[in-house]
Order: sequence, then C-alpha cells, then structure tokens
Amino acid sequence: MLNWKGNIGALLQPLIAVFIGLLGGAIAIVLIGGSISDTYAQMWKGAFGNFYFLTNTLTRATPLILVGLGVSIAFRAGFFNMGSEGQMILGALTSAMIALYFPGPPVFKLFAALLGGIAVGGIWSAFAGWLDARFKMNLIVTTLLLNYIAALFAGYLVAYPLKDKTGSAALAQTMMVDKSIWLPKLFQGMSMHAGFIIAIVFAVLLFLFIKYSAAGYEIRMLGYNPLFAAYGGVNRGKLMLASMFASGGFAGLAGAVEVLGMQYRYTDGMITNPGFAWSGIMATLLSGAHPLGTTVAAVLLAALQTGGMGVERNTSIPLEISSVIQSLLILFVTAKFSYTLWKRRKGGGSGAASS
Amino acid sequence: MVAPILLAALGGAICSRVGLFNVGLEGFVLVGAFSAIVGNHFSGNVYLAVLIAIAVTMLFSLAFAYISIHLQANVIVVGISFNFLALGLTAFCLKAIFHVKGAFYDKNMVGLPKWNIPIVQDIPVIGGIISGHSPLIYLAFALVLGLQYFLFKSVLGFRLLAVGENPVAAKSIGIKVGRMQYLAVLICGLLCGLAGAQLSLGQVTMFTEGMTAGRGFIALVATMLGQANPLGVMASSLLFGLMDAFSIRLQGFSLPTHFTQMLPYLVTLLAMLFFRKSSYMADAQKANGSSR
Repeated sequence: MLNWKGNIGALLQPLIAVFIGLLGGAIAIVLIGGSISDTYAQMWKGAFGNFYFLTNTLTRATPLILVGLGVSIAFRAGFFNMGSEGQMILGALTSAMIALYFPGPPVFKLFAALLGGIAVGGIWSAFAGWLDARFKMNLIVTTLLLNYIAALFAGYLVAYPLKDKTGSAALAQTMMVDKSIWLPKLFQGMSMHAGFIIAIVFAVLLFLFIKYSAAGYEIRMLGYNPLFAAYGGVNRGKLMLASMFASGGFAGLAGAVEVLGMQYRYTDGMITNPGFAWSGIMATLLSGAHPLGTTVAAVLLAALQTGGMGVERNTSIPLEISSVIQSLLILFVTAKFSYTLWKRRKGGGSGAASS
Repeated sequence: MVAPILLAALGGAICSRVGLFNVGLEGFVLVGAFSAIVGNHFSGNVYLAVLIAIAVTMLFSLAFAYISIHLQANVIVVGISFNFLALGLTAFCLKAIFHVKGAFYDKNMVGLPKWNIPIVQDIPVIGGIISGHSPLIYLAFALVLGLQYFLFKSVLGFRLLAVGENPVAAKSIGIKVGRMQYLAVLICGLLCGLAGAQLSLGQVTMFTEGMTAGRGFIALVATMLGQANPLGVMASSLLFGLMDAFSIRLQGFSLPTHFTQMLPYLVTLLAMLFFRKSSYMADAQKANGSSR
C-alpha cells in the first residue's frame, strides 16, 4: 500500500506544481497589465485549440520526450547527464549524413540513419561516462564541455565540408535529405510525424524495462544506494557505461528524428536555438524521471511553448510568459514541497533539514 | 572576457567550498546583467546600477539558497531550474519593462568607465594589457586575493571550509551549517551580480536575451579546474581568456573558427585529467546527496 501512497504523491506533486506555475504566470500577467483569462485562453487555444495546433504541440513534444527518456535513465542510475544537447546534435548530424551519403534502398537508409543517430549519441555520452569511471572526472562538467565541442564540430562540418552550396548558401546547413528517407507524416498537411509514435513506444518499453527487468532493477538500485548496489554485486563502471550509452542514444535518436521527420537536413543551431535538450531535461525533472510521466511532462512543456506562441500572436503578452511558467513549475517540483512538509509533520525532520 | 568568468567562478568556488555545487551560475550572471541595465536606465548612475545588480542577484541567490538548503532539494536540479528561471524572467521583464524583444540598447546610458593607470599605461605592451579596464576588472583581481585571505586565514573562512569538508563534524562543534551555506550562496550572488554588471555595462552598454551565452557554465568549469581555490580559479579563468585571445589570433592562419573556439573546452578536458585530486568536493557532494 505504501506504493499507492507514493504513486499518488508522484502524481499530486506535478499537479500542485502546474497550479503554482500557472498562478505565478498569472501574477506576471497582471503585473504587465494583461488579462489572465484571456491570456490563458489564448495559450490553451495555441496549444490544443484545434487539430492543427494539437499536432504542432505533439510534434514539438517528440524530441523532448526522447531526450527526457534518455536523461531519466541516467537519472535513475544516479547520474546527471547534462550533455543531451551535444548528443542530440551529433545524432542529428550523423543521421543526416547517413541519409545523404549512404548507399542502399530507402527503407534501409532510414533505419541506418536512425540507428546511426542512436549509436553516435550513445558513444558520445558513454565517452563522458568512461571518463568518469576510468579517470574520476566529474560527469556533470565533462558532459557540459562535450556539448560545446559537439556543437562547434557540427557547426564546422556544415559550414565547410558538408555545406549545401546549391541554394542561396547563406545558411550553414547540409543538403536536403531525399524524400524517400523522410519519416512519414501521420496526417496529411500536418507537421506531426512517425517520430512521435517511436517516442511513445520507447516510453512504454522503457517503463517496462525499468520496472520489470533485472537490469532495470540494477539501474534503480545504483541510483538509490550506490553502496548497497556495489555490495549486491552491481558493477558500477559497467552499468554506468551502459546507462550513459542508453541515455545518449535516446538523445541521439531525438536528433535523428528531428532531422528525418521535421527539418530534413542538419542546420547549424537547429538543436541549440529551440533549447530542445534543456526542455527535455526539464521534462525529466518535472516527472521525477518516470518514463511515462516524462512523456506527459514533455507534452505539457511543449504545450506551454506552442501555447506561448499563440499568446504572442493574439495578445500583448510576450511569449516569454511560458518560460516563466515553465521555470516556476520546475522550481516548485525541485523544492519537493510535499515531501518536506510530510517530513516535518512526522517530526524530527527539521534537524536533518538543516545539516 | 575574463572578468565575468572570473567573478562568477569565484562565486562558484565559494559555493562548492560549502558543499553546494552551483550549476545556476549562468542564471545568476544573467540576472545580474539584466538588473544592472535596469538600474542604469532608471537611476542614470553606473555605480548605483552595479549596486542594484548586486542586490537583485543576491535576492535571486537567496531563493536558490532557500530551496536547496532549507527545502533540501537537489542542488544540481535547483541550479538547472534557476538557469531557466533567469532566462525566462529576464526575457519577460525585458518585454515588460522596456517593451523590446531580444535586446535593449539605449545610447543615453553610460557604461562603466575605463580606468587608465597613470604610469603603467605608458609601458608599451604591459600598459595595454593592464591599464584601461573597467573598475570591476581590477576589483575582480583584488577579490581573488581578498577571498584567498578570507577562506584560508579568517575564522569565518575556516568555518565555511569546515562545513564543506565535513558537515557533521562542523555541526558537532557548534557551527551553524545552514547559516554558513546561506552565507556562501549570498557571496556567490554578490560576485555573480558583479559579473553580470561587467558583462552588460563593461564593454558594450546593452542587454541581450541570454547574453551570458554559456559563460556561467565556463565559470563552472573554471571553478572545477581551479579546485575551488581563488588563486587556482584565477589561473583557470586566465587560461580561458588566453585561449579565447589565442583563438582570435589563430583565425589569421585561416583555421576555421570552430576549431579555435573548441580549444578552451578541449584544454579543460585535458586539464581535468591532470588535476583531479579534488576529493573534498566529491565528499561534499556526497554529503549533500547530489550528483553521485
């Protein structure tokens, strides 16, 4: 029954956070003299108002879900993978390159491009894991550094050797991928593509994996209590490499899906500028690294972002209102509100809280 | 280039000394930069603007401290979310206060003055390097020595260190662990406010959305590289500055800028490989239940 309590808590906490986020947003709206109800109505419309906006939101959520799943694996194992951005960039670049220059039938190339994205993203991430396991280099810092290196390397490739010279050539980007290798669209004329289904399937698979498989149990154990895990015979280094590979692989897949389903080429800054990777990390934080919860949180964050655009189109309130709400959401989730309150009520918690 | 990183990195160093690994430096500096511009715009006085930047950033850091120390949230997570909060809030306030999007520039605003040091400025090479900077840059280097003294020679500094080394032991001899951590985060806020002011009022008097552009993260790396030791942090910040200057110079040899820009990060990775005996930080992190 304890599990039940945990589940309700896990669900209640994000709900309270959403409420507080919207409340904070409302205060911000009032401060700059807007109408709360009008703004939120526009936000809702911009995110879910009609089928077109809904599919837009889900399209935007697709890379967030995948990145979020990746981060949640690392998170479950007790590591912070801050390198999703670099992993996503390299995944996107690789899949664009495979789709462009690899010989073979289209379907084969599509799968090769997706797998290539996963592999390269995973290797980039596992490299950071290896540096930690082998040389005890702080994972947070190495993953951060590798972000910059990946972004600059990809920037170089599309600015010089791989640059698309056919068009007006002002943009640093690769050539357009052939239409036969595009991920199919789910609905005619809508941006939503098969990547969304891939993301959902992976979310469910990951949920089952973490919950029911032996390896998933080991990962959770390593995250909860590294010492106990070591005592129980879990090889930290090996598991770290594996979970970091999986984590980066998801980020790489997110990049690949964004290339093959959405942009059809790698453009410099296409991953960095919209902040896909960081939003994905936020989705993980919001859900407490629960795979299905991450999916919901990613859709929620995507809705806030697309909804913000709707707000900007139709009211005087700027788009940034959604980032205020988003960050408040995260803030209140991280504050572990209910958790501390619960601890206090039981007494004796305050002593531990100050140390 | 060096001063904002150095100031923020010093802040990061103080934080990591008490066992709080502050990933939110980027956000702190951004808030500082924005509030400096707001202060400058409304007060018309540069020095008042710097003070406002410090005050606002300290307030921001107080929220950080409350959530991570009082509510016991994971510091890394709080840091990440504070980066988002800063990014969103500054962009939002930019629109709300100045009714512009992206960047704010006002030609009536006066930036920080450049101080020319009388005799030194006439020395050929060194004069150009040392003289003619904003007061905050000189302050940054003075603060390095000040903090070095504070941490390793003063009683309060020792208490701060004790909290980072072993919170339980520190508590047992009557040091208020939470209070020390609050103090450290506030100092960090102060330093990041200065860093932000230098960023937005130093070279160009303007604010652009996300103008920190990863400097906070570089500062974080400089903290790590400098082993959270003020002098070490200064050395690693200078290394970044040097690499940056180097990369501009290397462009003359028709090397793609991408590779030269990569240098600081590669050098840091290599440097981390050689200086990685920061076991106290690992202990502090463990004590706080963060990262790993």
